[in-house]
Amino acid sequence: MTPLLRLENLSKCYARGTSREVRPLNGINLAVARGERIVLLGKSGSGKSTVLNLVGGVDTPTSGRVLFDGMDLATMASDELARYRRKEVGFIFQSFNLFPTLTVGENLTLPLELLGVDDDARALRYLNAVGLEGQWDKFPEQLSGGEQQRVAIARALVKEPRLILADEPTGNLDLETGNSILALIDKVCRTAGATLIMATHSAEALWLADRTFRLRAGTLTEVPVAATIQPQEPVA
Amino acid sequence: MSLPTLLNFNLRYYRRHRLLSLLCMMGICLGVGIVIAVELINESALDSFSRSVDLLSGRATHSVVSGYGRVDDRFFPDIWRNPQVKAASPIVEVMALTRETGEEPIRFVGIDPFLDAEFRNFSPPAGDDAALDRFLGSDPPGLYLSRELMDRYRLKTDDTLTILAAGLEKKAVILGPLPDSSAAGVGDNLAVMDIAAAQELFGRVGYLERIDIMAHGNAEALEKELPEGLFLTDANTKKSTLRAMLSSFQLNLAAMSLLAIFVGVFLIYNFSMFSVLSRREDLSLLLTLGADRKGLVTAFLLESLVLGSVGNVLGIAFGWLVAWLSVGKVSGTITELYFFVEMGSVHLTPAVVLTGLAVGFAATMVGTGLPALEVAVTPPVLGIKRRSIEDRAHGLKGLLLASGLVFFAAALVGAWASRFSIFWGFFSAFAMTFAFALFTPGFLSPFSHYFGVLLKKGFRSLGGFLAARTIRASLSRTSIAVAALAVALSMTIGVDIMIHSFRESVSAWLEGSLEGDLYISPGTTKWFHPLPDSLIDALKRDPRIEAMERYSTYDVSLDGKPVRLRVVDSTVLETHSRFHFLEGERAAWPALRAEKVFISESLAYRFGLKVGESVTLTTPAGARPFTVASIVRDYSSDQGTLHMDRGVYERIWHDARVQSVALFLRPGVSPDEIRHEIAAAYPGLGKTIVSNKKMKLEILRIFDKTFAPTATLKGVSLLVALLGVATALTAILLERSREMRVLGYLGLTAGELGRMNIYQGLIMGLASFLLSVICGLILAYIVIYAINYRSFGWTVDVHINAWVFGKTFLLTGLACLASSMYSSFRLFRDRNGPALREEE
Repeated sequence: MTPLLRLENLSKCYARGTSREVRPLNGINLAVARGERIVLLGKSGSGKSTVLNLVGGVDTPTSGRVLFDGMDLATMASDELARYRRKEVGFIFQSFNLFPTLTVGENLTLPLELLGVDDDARALRYLNAVGLEGQWDKFPEQLSGGEQQRVAIARALVKEPRLILADEPTGNLDLETGNSILALIDKVCRTAGATLIMATHSAEALWLADRTFRLRAGTLTEVPVAATIQPQEPVA
Repeated sequence: MSLPTLLNFNLRYYRRHRLLSLLCMMGICLGVGIVIAVELINESALDSFSRSVDLLSGRATHSVVSGYGRVDDRFFPDIWRNPQVKAASPIVEVMALTRETGEEPIRFVGIDPFLDAEFRNFSPPAGDDAALDRFLGSDPPGLYLSRELMDRYRLKTDDTLTILAAGLEKKAVILGPLPDSSAAGVGDNLAVMDIAAAQELFGRVGYLERIDIMAHGNAEALEKELPEGLFLTDANTKKSTLRAMLSSFQLNLAAMSLLAIFVGVFLIYNFSMFSVLSRREDLSLLLTLGADRKGLVTAFLLESLVLGSVGNVLGIAFGWLVAWLSVGKVSGTITELYFFVEMGSVHLTPAVVLTGLAVGFAATMVGTGLPALEVAVTPPVLGIKRRSIEDRAHGLKGLLLASGLVFFAAALVGAWASRFSIFWGFFSAFAMTFAFALFTPGFLSPFSHYFGVLLKKGFRSLGGFLAARTIRASLSRTSIAVAALAVALSMTIGVDIMIHSFRESVSAWLEGSLEGDLYISPGTTKWFHPLPDSLIDALKRDPRIEAMERYSTYDVSLDGKPVRLRVVDSTVLETHSRFHFLEGERAAWPALRAEKVFISESLAYRFGLKVGESVTLTTPAGARPFTVASIVRDYSSDQGTLHMDRGVYERIWHDARVQSVALFLRPGVSPDEIRHEIAAAYPGLGKTIVSNKKMKLEILRIFDKTFAPTATLKGVSLLVALLGVATALTAILLERSREMRVLGYLGLTAGELGRMNIYQGLIMGLASFLLSVICGLILAYIVIYAINYRSFGWTVDVHINAWVFGKTFLLTGLACLASSMYSSFRLFRDRNGPALREEE
């Protein structure tokens, strides 16, 4: 079966300051099947977010290709990339990134409106699915961190994208809340049949992965299933 | 932590936000610049005429002048021989144009070279008999011209000058540059000739402008011995009289210039607030590290002063440049409206520089006061969110609204109190604009909310909706920019409505008072150039002319103040004009013939006169009262005009000279035919015979020119306000860059983000425009009734013109589009994509 996503010899290099060159990705390869859940492990600055940004089309590789459903993102113009993100990709961030000026309902309907879909009922359904019934008219600041992340998850999924990219989704949450968020992501991705790539530096999320990879020194290495279930394993 | 350390720390902020710093400095620079420019232009005009008065007065201690427009030269011998008089010199002084120098007026001074040598160095060099002979007796007459004038028009000694004098072309020979080298730089447009030649040339035989004297000491004794109607004056009195004539004109210019700095304060405030808010984390950290609050506030005020100093210095340079570029135009306007002033040079005096610095620093201090308070009360707690600032801004809406109502009420009281002092009129205008500035947050918040909903539901514009929401979410910033723009637009609308209403009123007045088919008017009405008697006789006899109205205008004195006396043919005007009588007798025209006068409303206002009261005019037979028959609408002079019947005037003043005529032709007679005949018989007059339409257009051209400086000042205020919008949009972009990037993650293209930013600018512009429509209308009434009337004494019918609003709407849209361009361009060009870093 054709993978939904393929990273081919993907490298990223940029300058830090005037002399130092950083190469977070150095020719990585990865094929992700439809509906598969991938967890990327790595310490801060290892390039996890860079992978998600390249896959999401918000950043461009120095070399190599990102193929989504056979389409090479490098050949797409910036407007085409924007439309790709609008339709195919749902992002979940560590710091939620909800719009403080919009209500919860407006945050949820925004991705639909970008697609030209006027469907408040669907947005409400997703809000209920993340357990936030009755919060439609509230502003993000009126919610707890966990609740805000639930809204962010609903916002990522409401447009029913084929790919979910989650960048440290539990990084700003306590352990208990973080675990409930992971369970929620697992549940909604399964229900929607979405492909998930989650970047994390914590081993807490490994249980929901079909495959786990470790990113170190710019290279990607698959971590055997047996190893991933070691709860105390150092991830670096 | 030492102050230099804190200051150095703070100043680094400006290096990081160069664009915002630059916009803010430009705001201060423009505001200060325009205040300086107006100050310099006013000073230059005053200095120019002051030095002209000094130059022309020479060593004279006093001048004998007439209260009725002329000094008969038969009085000269007695005055000269008066024991109180050490020396005396008769003077003829006339403004006129020449063919060689085009539209540039020249001051012709006629002197007696033997008598004048004690007063001025205008006479031919002593001992040069040949020069003296040419000065006294050449035909055509000889004259000396100022060297600057000769250089400017490449005129040489022995060239012939064609003077347009008394309606005719008269020739004169240039004898050379003016002997007095001290005239350089002052008497640029000066021509000196023999007094007899000047009287002949300009139709003043038997008349003098004045007699300059050197008194032995007891000038009061001399004054008592002067013939009826003559009195003594001196250079200082003349200067103060002329200065008083300009005071309203200059006050209005100065008030308009203050508008630019008023708007500039909003810009400074917005930038300062942004600089404080975006550094809250830094400030909190410094407090945590041990910096004391007093030091922080001092450092913040000092950095504002540094910014203000740079803006001030640039503003002074900018103001000097504007003054240098526009002093000629303003001098031209003063010449058209009041009296001749040469284009003076622009000198930065310490007083002007200090004024600019004071205004600039005051604006900076007012603009930074509240932000400094913000620094003072910032608790040393890290992570205070911008949201809390916005919550506070939203919470203050009610208080600001209530404060706005207080200012609104104060503005109304000020408008009422303007009857006591013009100061209250200006207070009213500024209080009203400030009231609307305070109303802005209370209006902008619901407006942007509902307008956003309308854009989303009605027009399916997600970008517009998000833009509206961002405006509401950044109320602390956007409301300041909207308020500044609304203030500038309100003034634009208010002043434009006033100008339009004024123009319509002047036009209606012209329609009623100018109904002749042809007008012959050599020189302007301010320069007395009588028409040849032979022409008047020929016109009287011409059967093709149904009626001829002869009029002359004289500068006379009423209670020691200059006013205009217009001599008219009442029998002709009674049947051929539609005077706008504001108050007065039913049989106004017969009353005029019965030695009563009409007065303009500006004269009635200046002197507090009513119908039935009398004015005392100086006549050749002494002071004589004239009863006011009517008050009429007349926009020809803000000094005030008296209308008198020609028959009455000739009987009392013994002066039958005619300055201008209006010809009413019989049906079927071609005005062109008459015009060509007169021009053929009187070379030089062709240029000054104009049709009814051209006459009106010429007057309206002068009217429009009068308001040209106002348009410049309005433009600068608008520019400062637009810099405010650009600052706000750039600040929002910096503050909300993360949200912008998240929108990129959600699939908004760079173009859509850029458009959203443009929508923000446009929605802010729309909000400003809506506020300014209401405020501008109210201001128009304040300017017309509480400022204009109190400054000039004439009433204006209010004419609301839809084009004023349409033009302002379009201008606002285009300007907001332009001011959002830079920040939008930043979004458009963001080719690296919207990648977010969590540490952002």
